[in-house]
Amino acid sequence: MLAVSSQLAYFVSLMLFSIGAVGSLIVMKRNTLANIWGNTFAVFGSIVGLVSAVAVLFGSGFSFSFETSLPFLSLSVHVDKLSAFFIFVISLIAAVASVYGIGYVKQYYGKYNIGALGFFYNAFIAGMIMVVSAQHALFFLVVWEIMSLASYFLVIFENNESSHVRAGTLYFVMTHIGTAFITLAFLLLYSATGSFDFAMIKENSAGITPFMKDAIFILALIGFGTKAGIIPLHIWLPSAHPAAPTHISALMSGVMIKTGIYMFIRLFVEVLPNTPLWWGIVVLIIGAVSSLLGVLYAITEHDIKKLLAYHSIENIGIILLGLGSSLIFLAFDMKSLATLGLVASLFHIFNHATFKALLFLAAGSVISKTHTRNMEDYGGLIKLMPQTALFFLIGAMAISALPPFNGFFSEWMTFQSLFAGIRSADTSVQWAFILAAGSLAFTGGLAAACFVKTFGIIFLARPRSEHAKSAHESSVTLRFGMAVLALLTLAIGLSAGPIAVTLSKVAGDLNAFAGQPPAFAADWSAITLVDNFASVSGLLIFAMLTAFIFIVFFAVSIFTKNRKVHIGRTWDCGTNLDSRMEITATGFSRSLINIFRGVLKPTKQVTIEYRDEHMRYFHVTKTVEFGIRDIYQNYFYELIQLLVAKISEQMRRMQSGNVNVYVAYIIVALITLLVIMK
Amino acid sequence: MDILSPQLLYFLETILFATVLSMHLVKKNFVIISLYSLQSFIISILLFSATLREASLLLLGVAVATFFIKVIVAPYFFFRLIKKIRLHFLVSTYLNGPLILIVLALLTTFSHSQYFKPLTILAPGNENALLLTVGMIFISVFLIINRKGALSQMVGVLSLENAIVSFAFLAGLEQAPGPQLGIIFEIALWVVIATVFASMIYQQFGSLNVAAMVELKED
Repeated sequence: MLAVSSQLAYFVSLMLFSIGAVGSLIVMKRNTLANIWGNTFAVFGSIVGLVSAVAVLFGSGFSFSFETSLPFLSLSVHVDKLSAFFIFVISLIAAVASVYGIGYVKQYYGKYNIGALGFFYNAFIAGMIMVVSAQHALFFLVVWEIMSLASYFLVIFENNESSHVRAGTLYFVMTHIGTAFITLAFLLLYSATGSFDFAMIKENSAGITPFMKDAIFILALIGFGTKAGIIPLHIWLPSAHPAAPTHISALMSGVMIKTGIYMFIRLFVEVLPNTPLWWGIVVLIIGAVSSLLGVLYAITEHDIKKLLAYHSIENIGIILLGLGSSLIFLAFDMKSLATLGLVASLFHIFNHATFKALLFLAAGSVISKTHTRNMEDYGGLIKLMPQTALFFLIGAMAISALPPFNGFFSEWMTFQSLFAGIRSADTSVQWAFILAAGSLAFTGGLAAACFVKTFGIIFLARPRSEHAKSAHESSVTLRFGMAVLALLTLAIGLSAGPIAVTLSKVAGDLNAFAGQPPAFAADWSAITLVDNFASVSGLLIFAMLTAFIFIVFFAVSIFTKNRKVHIGRTWDCGTNLDSRMEITATGFSRSLINIFRGVLKPTKQVTIEYRDEHMRYFHVTKTVEFGIRDIYQNYFYELIQLLVAKISEQMRRMQSGNVNVYVAYIIVALITLLVIMK
Repeated sequence: MDILSPQLLYFLETILFATVLSMHLVKKNFVIISLYSLQSFIISILLFSATLREASLLLLGVAVATFFIKVIVAPYFFFRLIKKIRLHFLVSTYLNGPLILIVLALLTTFSHSQYFKPLTILAPGNENALLLTVGMIFISVFLIINRKGALSQMVGVLSLENAIVSFAFLAGLEQAPGPQLGIIFEIALWVVIATVFASMIYQQFGSLNVAAMVELKED
């Protein structure tokens, strides 16, 4: 009964998204109706999707296949617990983002096509849900493309902004490079197993040679890693995510990039069993590098949405640390510890989706009132937008892994997984775990520093622009979306134990982990490693923090109740206090940039205008521009571009315009084919 | 009644092969057209023998049309073109003489290699003749590739067509008379258009050397 209802809910959910998409186009001439139509159906579709996912998570999965007249293509859907988990995360964030969107999209009325936004928005969510439930490689590619194209059109939605169109183009190119690699990986799987069906591929995986498995791993790592935004394939992410409307940025950053991680798990753990050790080490190293460099680049950013986008790279790195350790443990046949690593990874996927969506929505709330993404133009918004400030603070604490919010618990589990690797793994791979644990520790500290800067620059001190001065609290729908996510970050933190248990069941549903209990025990009171190496209790931490705050509050009240309060002007050497005296985001991050200058390659350009060009004593103006050299652009992509340009130049010579040469090509091609095909 | 014994057929194929080899070696346009004319004459003989074998009037029409178009009309147009633009000598090739001989040897060897052995089942008793026509196909294509003069390339295309007809004849892949007549008609049209076009090219560039026709190319 539960299985039937979950299947029904799944298809009803997709139907609602379809109605939302098509209906938005039909009513596109009426902005309000198109906005309400598109987002309302997205909310309902997401809620029904949640029902479907919960039914599978706590019941059993379902499969559905619809044969088409096209050769090889079968519309096969299979929703197991892993798929259901991802559908749950997608639907949850989509539901909240859609409520937020009803209020947020109003600013585009009369400027852009709201009907088109509703169409692509619904198609995007439906595409993501189908991606994580597709059972057939070709069907997967179709829905992957639906998701990618819909998100591309959402990135370039504000097409009057040339920077958005450029970001969209970069995203389009990178995502299709990724798709090319994915297609190659699927073709190799087909050539080895004779099927595009993931279940059949899994059944026949014994016939795949180790060399071919490794080739598939590399192709899939590049293809899905491009979507996930791992370094150095991330270059599209910091420009594309901020370009989309904010509630869509939340979905892209919080959810869409996780579809790449979903396929990592599906392929590397489920479809291709008997994981070689080096796969895990590679994933672990990529995770360590992505997390550390992601947060370092975030620190240098002053564009609030770009900063959050870089933090997505950081968090993808943290997720990969869990997954990488899980793959390594699987290679050593330590399934209990492998479950711990995978649960840490899944838990962080869930947590990152909630707090990153919360941060994006809060940032969107600020941007909608200040009309800029430059943090240097904010300041003092805590007084003008107190609720947004609170929600942002909660998100900032969660992403900085501060208890009792959810980010802390998934990072704690990731740490435990890495520590277990240091203690239990072969000495030949201990160095990888040590490197990863060090990277994660660094990342946590730097993330906290980054959000001290971000919160301080946005909400504290005095407004630094006219827009910031005139800002006021956002509308109810925006605050509702943020409030739900803020409560969720706390609620997930407090119920970390039961969630970890549920996620261990998700992991246990995969063949690779079946039959072995996880290396931890969890309930409402605590999560404890079975060897008692470590234990953490969300409720206890929450109770202690609450008690501490109350004690401090009462102590301060008691000791200061007779103290007179004198309110006077802040003394500032006799001058008037203004926003120019505040520390800027640039100033705050400069010291950190200097520490990591070897990696970040900071640049400084000083431009001076003199009163007298010959004497050069007195300045009219002096401008200092700080920047960060894009090392991926300079040392990786530009080299590739140069190489491609060289090859293209050589290829161009083939097109000589001489008929003799063309006939020669034909005859050489024919002879070559004849020799090869014999 | 089959008037062509395997020995005679092989002899005729050898002459065909020799004509296409000679096309690479001769210097005068007049000679190359004459060689094409000889080649076409032999093809007409082959088709005429098929007429006698099948006792078909339609096939006789094909043989006569082939003779008329390929042995008389096409050379006539080419001679007229040579006379009109005073193009008596072939000027240049991409490869020099020794290299041409090496490539001809390689192509002949390749056509007699194991890659084409399976084709010989198409012509039992005439295996060597069939492989000569394969070699003739390659050498005709090589004529198109190696010659810079447009006229030589045109002759190369027609020689290639003769080689294919010869191959089809030996392999028993001849078409019905209707399509064969259609092909002959197309060749007639092609020769007329090609010679007119060559004449126009000469007016434009002052040469029929394709290497000199650079102005129509992109930078």
